[in-house]
Amino acid sequence: MNAQPYTPALARPRRVMVLGLAALSTGFACVEMHRLLAAHGTTVPELFVLGLFAVCFAWIALSFWSGVAGFIQLVSNQRVPGLRWPTEEEAAEPLTRRTAVVMPVYNEDPAAVFAHVQATYESIAATGQLDAFDFYVLSDSTKAESWVAEELAWSELCRRVGGQGRIFYRRRSDNTAKKAGNLAEFCERWGRRYDFLLVLDADSLMAGDSVVKMARLMELNPGAGILQVPPQNVGRSTLFARLQQFAGRVYGPIVAAGAAAWQLGDSNYWGHNAILRMAPFIEHCGLPVLPGQQPFGGHILSHDFVEAALMRRAGYTVWLVPELGGSYEQPPPDLLAYAQRDRRWCQGNLQHLGLVMAGGLHPMSRMHFLMGVMSYVASPLWLIFLVAGLFAALHEWFFAPATLMEFQATLPGGDAFDTVGALRLMALSLALLWIPRLMGMGLVLADREEAANMGGRFKLVLSVMLEGFVSTLMAPVMMLFQSHFVFGTLFGYKVNWSSQQREDTDLPWPEALRRHKWHMVIGVVLAVLTVAVAPGMLAWLSPVILGLWLAPAISVFTSRASLGLWLQRRGLLLIPEEVQPPTVLVRAQELAEEELEPVDDALDHVLTDPRAHALHLALLESHPAASVPAALASARRKLLAGGVEPLSPQEKSAVLLDARTLSELRGRRLGVQA
Amino acid sequence: MDSVTTHPFISFAPAMPQAARADTQAALVNFFQDFGFTGRQDLEKLAGWVLGTRELTLSPEAALALARWRVEGWLAEVLGPAHVGPSLLVRGRAAFVLVGGARWGADVLMRTPSSLPDAWRRAVCEAVPMSAPAEVPCQMREQQLVLNPFMDMLRRWLRPAAGQAGVSPSR
Repeated sequence: MNAQPYTPALARPRRVMVLGLAALSTGFACVEMHRLLAAHGTTVPELFVLGLFAVCFAWIALSFWSGVAGFIQLVSNQRVPGLRWPTEEEAAEPLTRRTAVVMPVYNEDPAAVFAHVQATYESIAATGQLDAFDFYVLSDSTKAESWVAEELAWSELCRRVGGQGRIFYRRRSDNTAKKAGNLAEFCERWGRRYDFLLVLDADSLMAGDSVVKMARLMELNPGAGILQVPPQNVGRSTLFARLQQFAGRVYGPIVAAGAAAWQLGDSNYWGHNAILRMAPFIEHCGLPVLPGQQPFGGHILSHDFVEAALMRRAGYTVWLVPELGGSYEQPPPDLLAYAQRDRRWCQGNLQHLGLVMAGGLHPMSRMHFLMGVMSYVASPLWLIFLVAGLFAALHEWFFAPATLMEFQATLPGGDAFDTVGALRLMALSLALLWIPRLMGMGLVLADREEAANMGGRFKLVLSVMLEGFVSTLMAPVMMLFQSHFVFGTLFGYKVNWSSQQREDTDLPWPEALRRHKWHMVIGVVLAVLTVAVAPGMLAWLSPVILGLWLAPAISVFTSRASLGLWLQRRGLLLIPEEVQPPTVLVRAQELAEEELEPVDDALDHVLTDPRAHALHLALLESHPAASVPAALASARRKLLAGGVEPLSPQEKSAVLLDARTLSELRGRRLGVQA
Repeated sequence: MDSVTTHPFISFAPAMPQAARADTQAALVNFFQDFGFTGRQDLEKLAGWVLGTRELTLSPEAALALARWRVEGWLAEVLGPAHVGPSLLVRGRAAFVLVGGARWGADVLMRTPSSLPDAWRRAVCEAVPMSAPAEVPCQMREQQLVLNPFMDMLRRWLRPAAGQAGVSPSR
């Protein structure tokens, strides 16, 4: 077993290789770009374009070389150095430390949440190590209906698995600092009872043996602060989700192994499906409230990167351990839901810009912040690069007057343009984007069993082509979405977005048209401008233009589960988890399909259903929380006056927090019934 | 603690020689409806169990206090001393409702708990809602981050008395 202790020296050669090669590639591409731009001397706008190109190219070059590192790591079939893995004897021993498995939830579907908790619970129980784990559903739900439904689902789960005293439920009525605050509050109340904290998301699912291995690794590596097991997208049927699942299954391993290979103990934490060492987490990872106003000030929105940085600052290592597997989550069902999630993450990641220079952080933590920023800022940078390129050409025409024909000759496709050089550079950029994908596909093709579980080699290749085609069409739309979110965050204008996260339901055309109307307009304008100014560029820009024109259709058709399942039946976009699903996935699916008691009106339910009433009052008794006095008073006025005026959500919550009012109201209801 | 000794599985319903006050009767009916009892016969039996034959003129408040006392006694015996406390009635009632205790009829509350089947008692014990274990409070201190050490150094150099503008504030 690998017992080589982690030291910075262990990581240095790997980092020098990856970062050095990325820098070299960028340097080469920049020289080539400069040569193309400087055909008639270099102008200021062209220098600006070159600067943007350097940043954008550096980003894809880093991703590429990280992917190559991942490929080598996977082919070498060795574990990354620095973590001590258990021997067979050690792996067979009972765990000696205690772990809290926590799932923060916020107005989620209780059926899915508790199905995942139960499946994970049963999977851990099957390992025989259940005694080392307690489970907590940490609710921040603000909708009264979600709250009461969660209580009932929790009680039902405890009954089913005999989990009283091991599966707990806590609801906060005050959502300070959102998810990070939810976790911090847990740590401050119960954290000291546990050695480790396993954080799940509302749609997370983990196999018991993976969880046990994570806890074991934490036991054996006292210097490890966080172990992150990259979650794999599974469990949805829409075409969009199946594209994500497939891409994650084919290319994800390369990406994760690459990051693990060169980041080693200075990796990152993604907020869930990870285990944390409780004591240093409590001691060193209390999140600061940043000075100033949003978007950069206030509570930290994306807590995970910051917690990883603080853990690293405290001297504990942070590891990405993709080889453990058994870690799952669900992708968004459609493009709009994906963009909605991106909007949230974008703001959180941009906030990290303010932390890049913070004192005492490990250089890799700063790099993680920058990489997080780049994953969103890359889109507007490419967009500005394209616009600035056009501006630079117009600028040259303006200052060196020529006929339109002469000007057009200097643009791509024109006689005076170095088309071969430009094509070479474009091919290089595309190669950097595509080679990691092909390496991922190559690894699957080389594994007969894996390839068979993905539809066979021929269908696997077809699926890769299909995924590549659709993702190319979606790329311009995502670029515009992300640019919109970045500019919205930076310039402080409000990005309205009222669409809800859906299950696998078809996206209606009117909503798709409403969301994409400006994308289509931009596509038309771009096409008209291209034809008018530089017809030779039309072929180059056709994927972008087509993607923008077809945006609503792409959104609608990829949101269809019928289309996703149709392809699944034909063996396309298959992942092994669909062909031979692991036990924990099958169980979660079965449980999620079971009907839960519907809660249409939380207050009515608590007042009429003796089970809901007794349970709710018992939970209030255990953890009393104060109602907002004004809301309670106005609710009491409405309810006890016997009026029919509906309660506001705040009033309803206030009543549900007040045992006396609930008992009084139930007494009245029963009196009326009698 | 109060208990009524009866023979196992034999119904016990003390006959009431005269009707109790209507409001008292209604209060007791409501009280036992919260335990999931719905049948008129069960509710009357339980009201009779609480009131006995000597307390017919009790006010609703006094009758409810007596009902709580009787039921708490029963719950204390079923659940054991670990659950005895101010929340015994609320938590015990929840456990009773969650196991569907009312399906067994009024007799189940009127019998001595020791005469109830062990499995049933165990089921009630296991159903007591325990939403969280005992707390071990601690504080997760907000970390201090100097957001831009260079600017901070410059600021201090230019204006030694200046505050720490780039440091995250504490809660």
